[in-house]
Amino acid sequence: MAAFKTVSASGRSRMDYILLGAMIGLVIIGALCVMSAVNSFSLANGVVRTHLVALVLGSAAFVAGWSFNYQIYDEQWKAVYGVILALLVGVLLFGSYQRGSRSWFVFPFFSMQPSEICRVCTILVAAAFLDRRGRRIRDASTLFGLGCLLAPVFGLIMMQPDFSSVVVTFPALLVLLYCTGVNVFYLGLIGLFAGVTGFFTITWTYIYLHPELADYWLVHAFYELAHNPWYMAGFSALITLAGYGAWWFFKQLRIFLPSFYFVLATLVVLAGLFGGIFVDHQMKHHQRKRIETFLAPKSDPKGAGYNVLQAQIAMGAGGVFGKGLFSGTQSRLGFVPERHTDFILAVVGEELGLWGTLSVLGLYLLILWRIIVVAYSSSDRYGYLVCAGIFGMFFTYMLVNFGMLIGIVPVAGIPLPFISYGGSNLVASSLALGVVQSVYARRIKA
Amino acid sequence: MAVTKIFFNARLKVMMALAAAAGAVIALRLVDIQVLRHNAYLQMAERNRTQVLYQTAPRGRVFTADGVAVASNEPAFSLYYLGGNKDPEYLERLAHDFAPRLRLPAPLMLEKLQLGAKSGKATLLAENLSTKSTVALQELQLYYPGIYLIEETKRSYPYGGFASHLLGYLGSMDDRAWRTRDLKMGYRLNSKLGKNGIEKKFEKELKGKDGGVYLEVDYRGRVKSIIEDKKWAAGSDVYLTLNFAVQKAAEEGLKTSKTGRGAAVALDTRTGALLALASAPAFDPNIFVAYSDEENPNQSKKINEYNLAVQGIYPPASTFKIITAAAALEDGHLDVDRKINCPGHYDSGPRVFKCWGTHGPVDFFDGMSNSCDVYFYTVASQIGAASIERVQRLFMFGRQTGIDLPGEKAGNLYGPTRRARNKTYWFIGDTLNLSIGQGELLVTPLKMAQFGAAVASRGNVYRPYYVDKIVSNQTGKTEQVGKTEILQKADLKPETYDLLFKALKYTVDNGTARRVKIKGLDVYGKTGTAQNPHGPDHGWFMAFAGLPGEEPSIAVAVFVEFGEGGSSAAGPIARSMLEAYFGLGAYAPKPRAAEDYKELLPEEHSHGGV
Repeated sequence: MAAFKTVSASGRSRMDYILLGAMIGLVIIGALCVMSAVNSFSLANGVVRTHLVALVLGSAAFVAGWSFNYQIYDEQWKAVYGVILALLVGVLLFGSYQRGSRSWFVFPFFSMQPSEICRVCTILVAAAFLDRRGRRIRDASTLFGLGCLLAPVFGLIMMQPDFSSVVVTFPALLVLLYCTGVNVFYLGLIGLFAGVTGFFTITWTYIYLHPELADYWLVHAFYELAHNPWYMAGFSALITLAGYGAWWFFKQLRIFLPSFYFVLATLVVLAGLFGGIFVDHQMKHHQRKRIETFLAPKSDPKGAGYNVLQAQIAMGAGGVFGKGLFSGTQSRLGFVPERHTDFILAVVGEELGLWGTLSVLGLYLLILWRIIVVAYSSSDRYGYLVCAGIFGMFFTYMLVNFGMLIGIVPVAGIPLPFISYGGSNLVASSLALGVVQSVYARRIKA
Repeated sequence: MAVTKIFFNARLKVMMALAAAAGAVIALRLVDIQVLRHNAYLQMAERNRTQVLYQTAPRGRVFTADGVAVASNEPAFSLYYLGGNKDPEYLERLAHDFAPRLRLPAPLMLEKLQLGAKSGKATLLAENLSTKSTVALQELQLYYPGIYLIEETKRSYPYGGFASHLLGYLGSMDDRAWRTRDLKMGYRLNSKLGKNGIEKKFEKELKGKDGGVYLEVDYRGRVKSIIEDKKWAAGSDVYLTLNFAVQKAAEEGLKTSKTGRGAAVALDTRTGALLALASAPAFDPNIFVAYSDEENPNQSKKINEYNLAVQGIYPPASTFKIITAAAALEDGHLDVDRKINCPGHYDSGPRVFKCWGTHGPVDFFDGMSNSCDVYFYTVASQIGAASIERVQRLFMFGRQTGIDLPGEKAGNLYGPTRRARNKTYWFIGDTLNLSIGQGELLVTPLKMAQFGAAVASRGNVYRPYYVDKIVSNQTGKTEQVGKTEILQKADLKPETYDLLFKALKYTVDNGTARRVKIKGLDVYGKTGTAQNPHGPDHGWFMAFAGLPGEEPSIAVAVFVEFGEGGSSAAGPIARSMLEAYFGLGAYAPKPRAAEDYKELLPEEHSHGGV
C-alpha cells in the first residue's frame, strides 16, 4: 500500500461536513467563552492570542490528519509507538515542573503537553495491535499483549504524574476493546479489577479523611490492610480461599464452569487489592479531598467542594438564556476557578444559558454520532477500530466534563476539547477528528 | 466479513445508545440546574458578588418645646472587612496593623476577621469612629483592598445628661430584642435600639430606614464597582413639652444642691404638660454610643437609671399642711382669724407632740407661713382625720399620676378609712401625724407637682404628659401625641381655694418660703422638711406662680434627699426654675452688651491693637 496515497476524487464527498460543522460550532462557542472567561485576567490579551494561534495550529493538525491516509499508522505503528515513548521519556527528562507534575515542554514562544498528543497516538497504536490479532481477538492473550504493550506508556504517564490523562485514555481503550469484539468476560474482569481498586481506594480515602472511624477495630483492621504486609498476606489468603470455595460450590451445584475462570477472577481481585494499595500510596491529599467532595459535596463548601459549587451556581444563575457574553458575574469576578480550562462549561452555562450548554452537548452528541457513522462506513477493520477508540475518547471527555459539573463524576481536571483554552489539547483533538475524516474520505466504494 | 460486520454493528449500536442515554441524563440535569433551580442559584450568585455595607439612618431628633434639639445625630465612621481575601497571613497582617489604630487587642481583631473570612460577608470591625481617627485608617485602606470605611451617623446628646431619665438611651440588639424584631423590620446585628425612655417608647418612629452601599466585589473581596447607593431616610422628630431653661435650671440646681440627690418637677398648671422633670444623679446617654474600645467597652458601662422623680416615695411633710388646711376650710368650722397659741408643744393626752419652734398665738395665715405644727395639730384634732383623708382622695393621693413613664410608684394614702381596711386601729396620734404630713403618708416628687398644679388650677388633677407631637421628616406630617387630660376634679369651695392662695402667697411673702419671693411674680409656695429616722431630713419645696393678676401658670415641686431644710435646700432650685420659666432674675434677657460682640470683632481690635 502506498504510503502517501492522496485523497482521490471519486465523485463523492471526501469530507463529512456534519462532523466538520459540529467541530467548527464548538470552536466558535469555545473561542467566545475563552475570551469572556479571561476578560478580567491581567494577561487576557496574551491568553486570547495564544488561543487563536492554537486554533490555527489545530486547523493544520486537522488538515494533516485528514489528508494523510490513516492506514499509514497501521503499517508504521512501531514508529508511532516509538514517538510516544520518546515524547514521554523526553518530557520526564527535559520537561518543566509545574503544579506538582512534570508534563510540559517549555519552548521560547510556546509550551506543549505531550501527553495530549500521546493519547491520540496510543489509540492508533492499540488499534493497530488489535487489528493484527485477527481471529485470536477473543483470546485472553490479546488483552495480555495489549496490557504489556501499553504498560510502559501508562507507566511513563504516571511518573509525571498525570492522572487525568490516564482517566481519559483508559475508558477510550475499553470502548475500543469492546468494539473490537473482545470477550465480554474479560472486559468484565477488567471492570472487576477497576471496581475492586476503586472500592479499596475510596474506602481507604474515606477512612483517611475521617480518622475517628478507626476507633472500631474492624475499620482499623481494614485500614491496616493498606499498610501492614501481614494483613495483606492474610487477606490475600482469604480471597484465594474464597475463590476455591466458589469453584467447589458451583461443582456441588453441578454447574460446570471452566476452572481457569475462577483462577482468573481470584487473580483479578488480588490484583485489584494491590492496585488499590498502589493508588492509595500514590495519592496526594488534594486528590483525596476531591474524592471526598464527590462522595459528599456539601461536606466542605468553602474548601474542596467550593469549585464544583461555584461552577453549579454559575450555571444555575445563567438560566435559560444566560446573562450574555462578558456579563457572567461568577466567572468575571473570579468565583469560578479554572474557568477558562476545566470549568469552561460553567462559563458557557452562565453566559449563554441552557441554550449554550445544550448546544455544546448536542454538538458533542453529533460528533459522536458521526464518528460511529464513519466507523460503520470504514473500508477496513483498522479504520473502524481507530474510530471506535476516538469515539471512546470524546465520549469520555463529554461524560467527565458535564458529569463533573452536574455532580455525577468527581472533579478530574480535564479540558473540554474545542471549548477549553489549551493548545495541546486542541491540536490533539483536531488531529483525532482529522483522522476520522481521513477514514471517511477512504470509505467503502460501492 | 459480513458476519463480523453485523457483530460490529451490534456493539456500535450499544455504544451509541450509551452515548444517547448519557446525553439525555446530562440534558435533564442541565434543565434541572438551569431552569428549575435557576432562582436559587441566581440568588447565590448575587450573594457572592454583592456586599452590602449598611448605613445607619439618622434617628429622629428630640426637641424641647422651645425648639432646642436635645438628642440629635453626628457623623461617625464604620470600618468593614469585605471577607474576600481569606489568606490567614493577610488577616494576621491586617489585625496587626489595624488593632493599634482602633485601640483593640490584636487577637480579638484577628478573631473578628477570621469569622468574617469564614462567612464571606462584610463584617463590621469598628463603628462610631470619630472623623479624626479615620484619617489614618483611610490611608491604610489603600494598602488593604478588602477594607472599607463608610460614613454613618450616630446618636448624640449635645447637652449630655439633659433630661436623661426622660430621653433614655440606646443599646445593642440582644436576644430579647431579636425576639420581637428582625431583618425585615430593618434591624441588623449591630443595630442600636432604644432601651429606655423616649428612645424606647418611640423606637418605631425615631428609627429611620437604613441606607446601604451595594458593592460588587470579586472573589478576593476587592471592590469592583458600586451597584447601588441607597440613601437612608431619617426617622421622625419628637417634640417634648419640656422647657429647656426650666429643665436646665432644675438639673443644675439639683447637681449643686447639698447632697446632689433629689428630683425637681415642673408642670404647666393650665394643661398638665411637663415643663421639667429632673432626677439626680443623672447619667450621660452619650457613653453608650461612644466608640467602644478595649479599655472602655460599652457593655461594662453602668448608669444610674433610678428616676427619683417617679420612683422615689417620701413623706410630704409640711407641704401636706395645705391638705389639712383645705379639709378644715371645707369643714366650715375654721375661723381663719382665730388665734391658737403655740407654746412649742401639743399635749394630745397619751403623748406630747413637739412643734419645730415656739410661735406664740398664730392665726391661719401665720400658721401656714410659719408652718406651725401646733396650729395644725389643733385644727386636725377638731375636724378629725376622716375629712383630711377625704381631701387626700380628692387630690388622688396614693394613686399614680398616670404619666407615661416606667416604674411609677403610687405612694401611700394615709387615713382612718385606709387603716380600717387593714383591720388595725386609728389613734389620735395618727391624726396629728397626718396633719403635718408625716407617718405612713408617701408621695413621689411628681405627685407633689401634680398636687401643686391641681391647687393652682383650682382642682384640676392632670395626668402629666411630656410628648407634644411627632413630626415626620419624610412626609412632614405632624402627629399630635400629648393632650390635656384631667383625671379628677378636686371640687372644693371657691372660698377654700381663695384662702389657700392667700395663705400660700403669704408664706412666700412673709414666711418660710421667702426664698422664692420673686419681684414681678405672684408666687405661692410651701416648704417641707420630712423627718427621716435613718439620717438627715429630706427637703421639700412646692410652689406655683403666675404673672401678677393672672392665674398661676407653672407649678414646681423640688425634693432634695437628705437636704435637711426644705427652704434652704430645695428653695433655691425652685426659685431658679421659676425665674427660668418667666425669664426673670438671672434668666432675664440681657441687653446685648459689647461683650457679646467681642468674638465677632477681628482679633487686633479686641486686644486694643499693637
